[in-house]
Amino acid sequence: MRKSVDAILRWAIIAIFTVLVACVVWQVASRFIFGVPSTVTDELARFLFMWVALIGGAYTLGQGRHLAIDLLPMLLTGTRKLLLELLILALIMAFAGLVMIYGGTSLVLKTLASGQMTPSLQIPMGYVYGAIPFSGAVMIFYCLTFAGDLLSGKATETDTVSAGPLS
Amino acid sequence: MALAALLLFGTFGVLTLLGVPIAFAIGLSAAVSFLLFMGFDQSMFIVAQQMASGLDSFTLLAIPFFILAGNIMNRGGIALRLISFAKVLGGRLPGSLAHCNVLANMMFGSISGSAVAAAAAVGGVMAPLQKKEGYDPAFSAAVNIASSPTGLLIPPSTTFIVYSLITGGTSIAALFVAGYVPGILMGLGLMVVAGIIAKKRGYPVAPRSTWKEVLRVTADAILPLSLVLIVMGGIIFGIFTATEASAIAVVYTLFLALVWYREIGLKDVPAIILESAVTTAIVLLMIGASIGMSRVMAFGDIPFALSDALLGLSDNPIVILLAINIALLIVGTFMDMTPALLIFTPIFMPVVQDLGMDPVHFGVMMTLNLCIGICTPPVGSALFIGCSVGNTSIGSVIRPLLPFYAVLFVLLMLVTFVPEISLALPQLLLGYK
Amino acid sequence: VTLKLNHNNPPDHPVHIAMQMMADRLAELTNGEVKIRIYPNGQLGTQRESMELVQNCSLEMARSNASELEAFEESYSALNLPYIFQSEEHFNKVVSGPIGEEILNSSVAQGFRGVAFYTEGARSFYGSKAINSPADLKGMKIRVQPSPSAIRMVELLGGNPTPIAWGELYSALQQGVVDGAENNPTALTTARHGEVAKHFSLDEHTMIPSVVVISNCAYDGLSDDQKKALRQAALESMEAQRVAWNEASDAAIATAKSEMGVEVNTVDKAPFVEAVMPMHAEVAAKSEKLGKLIAEIKAAAN
Ligand code: NA
Ligand code: NA
Repeated sequence: MRKSVDAILRWAIIAIFTVLVACVVWQVASRFIFGVPSTVTDELARFLFMWVALIGGAYTLGQGRHLAIDLLPMLLTGTRKLLLELLILALIMAFAGLVMIYGGTSLVLKTLASGQMTPSLQIPMGYVYGAIPFSGAVMIFYCLTFAGDLLSGKATETDTVSAGPLS
Repeated sequence: MALAALLLFGTFGVLTLLGVPIAFAIGLSAAVSFLLFMGFDQSMFIVAQQMASGLDSFTLLAIPFFILAGNIMNRGGIALRLISFAKVLGGRLPGSLAHCNVLANMMFGSISGSAVAAAAAVGGVMAPLQKKEGYDPAFSAAVNIASSPTGLLIPPSTTFIVYSLITGGTSIAALFVAGYVPGILMGLGLMVVAGIIAKKRGYPVAPRSTWKEVLRVTADAILPLSLVLIVMGGIIFGIFTATEASAIAVVYTLFLALVWYREIGLKDVPAIILESAVTTAIVLLMIGASIGMSRVMAFGDIPFALSDALLGLSDNPIVILLAINIALLIVGTFMDMTPALLIFTPIFMPVVQDLGMDPVHFGVMMTLNLCIGICTPPVGSALFIGCSVGNTSIGSVIRPLLPFYAVLFVLLMLVTFVPEISLALPQLLLGYK
Repeated sequence: VTLKLNHNNPPDHPVHIAMQMMADRLAELTNGEVKIRIYPNGQLGTQRESMELVQNCSLEMARSNASELEAFEESYSALNLPYIFQSEEHFNKVVSGPIGEEILNSSVAQGFRGVAFYTEGARSFYGSKAINSPADLKGMKIRVQPSPSAIRMVELLGGNPTPIAWGELYSALQQGVVDGAENNPTALTTARHGEVAKHFSLDEHTMIPSVVVISNCAYDGLSDDQKKALRQAALESMEAQRVAWNEASDAAIATAKSEMGVEVNTVDKAPFVEAVMPMHAEVAAKSEKLGKLIAEIKAAAN
């Protein structure tokens, strides 16, 4: 399950990133070579960027690559270390659940209900904000798998996981 | 106010010490503090909104693109050619590679205008090479981190444009020209310190090269170096903006790596993109969360209380300027550059204008000060990215950073109390004032 | 109660000063019961963000403009049409009168209502050369805000609309990434565009006002007397702001001419008006409400 989620996110990130580069190159080419500046690339690039940054944030959490001050986790051992790591995961889930999913969903729904459209592309702004609850959900998924690994003792085997979101 | 500050910084401090990833610690402490000012639903809403909106900026695109270009250069054999050339440039100084890193950051940062992009692109290339020559990775990372913000002072600099807009029209041209001397002094100062440390530790001095070698290395470096010409030329001749230049840099480095040198194949590209996305995401999530944090500070009147306290402090301009610098250094430890600039410029501006300080001079002082801030823990984007690409931890890089903080602080004092360092050049070239 | 009001201008901006005047007058009229606390420089967020916060009752008030508000309530798009106003008097009559009130009250279903309009003057083209007729715009890359009406207007006038971030505009003008931009005269001095754009052509195509909005939650919490006091304070500050704006705008033109060497030229507006007229019909066709509003605004010219 985690492997497929990893793979889907990986390819989504690579695809969006590629489109982003193409988008900005097209913005330059349309203006400088063809003399007819694109009026949508600026906005498209900004919104794709928001999506790739937030999905990337979730994927990075799954890879245990977010930066933390890991002094305390490194000092502790045994059950205390396990409890601290579970507490950290719970705090990350609290943020992902309350802010990103709960607050983010309310932002998406209210923005959709009020009918706010993006200026250039004229798509509902709510779709752009959809990146927040989506990434929040992925983060919770990763935290649950980390917690499962910690509790089943698998964490001690795979270095990347025990160093996981805590390093 | 006091309650808001206590709650915000208290929560943040406890969470980071527990080992919660910093982006989440920032976001959680902002969310908790908003509860002082509004209901639960509204608080969750505003933090979620700021996380996304904080990233809604075309200019921010330069970060992932320059990081990607740097990664392509690194994997595509371009970096090695550049480094060979830089070794010739770095000359016979002790710790040649460290000097290279500083010089490269000055050039790269000058173009990208982003400390983070410079730290990633240059540091990503230099760190493995320095390791191979026996440099302590923490020292290499420290050199890279401290020198990465030089490009925010050396023009063109988006930081100065933001400053000009907030202050209601300080001349951007004058700010740009004013940034040259402090930016170059910053680079030179760091090189002096790096040289002394490298000599003490006996880091290798580049061997004397023969003329034949110099020629060969230079010829080899011409195409990679043309990136600088293409990027700068494109901006100067109005073909693209500084942000767009970052995407052009990606295309050009891809061309060199895939077609010209053929050191990588198309199949290697996805992995390079993914690595760049991860490096970027670490920083971007933090930027999004820190915008929420700066909003809650504004709600809590924390900045205003700060300026009141300052004015009540003394009548002596030297004391007030010192106090402003210390306050900004403290702010810089916790806050990213842009929100710090946005919130504190309007607060300190009337204070320093009372003292008769020139707005261009103040802009340079403030930028240099916040340049230090992005290199200091617990929150510093240059620090984070520098550790990330340097494969070292925040804990181990602090000690080697201390002498660099010292030289930056000395330079900050010089820039603060010797206005000519900033103002002589714009007066000479632009007839400013 | 204290109402928080966020906006993205510096505190010495004529609109900030006018809002402070409104705040002081409101406190006076309500014996200090209702206060407005103003946060300048976008401390609480950008214009779009603060509109969303107002809609969600996370923030009581915000200052936006008619261009930005188009995305939230279609009525505002009538004010953004080029040459919808025939003169400054026409503009003032519309925004201070019943039509203005109708627009301010049109967004209640979207969670907010307007409180006051402030003039931001007329916007004109400026750049590397004088623009005396739409023909001069042919092939010119003109920076626009990413709004459908600004893009359509420049297209109809024969130019190439180019969205560029505001922060990058100065160097884009300087290096020739774009050939021109459009704004009111204060952009020449406050954003120093006069240093890099030496021709300002007074074609005065749009008059896009600033709008102060209040959330339904905050408004419904006021007593009837307090609501009346808010409207009175708003109208008084609007009048004072008009004078202050014109002074600031004239000063900007004078500075741009004398200190920056900008040439300011007047133009014959007739061909510009003719070129953009299709937009009036296009926007009016979008909805019955907009069609009626546009007809009312035009009728108010006489
Ligand atoms: Na720069
Ligand atoms: Na810092």
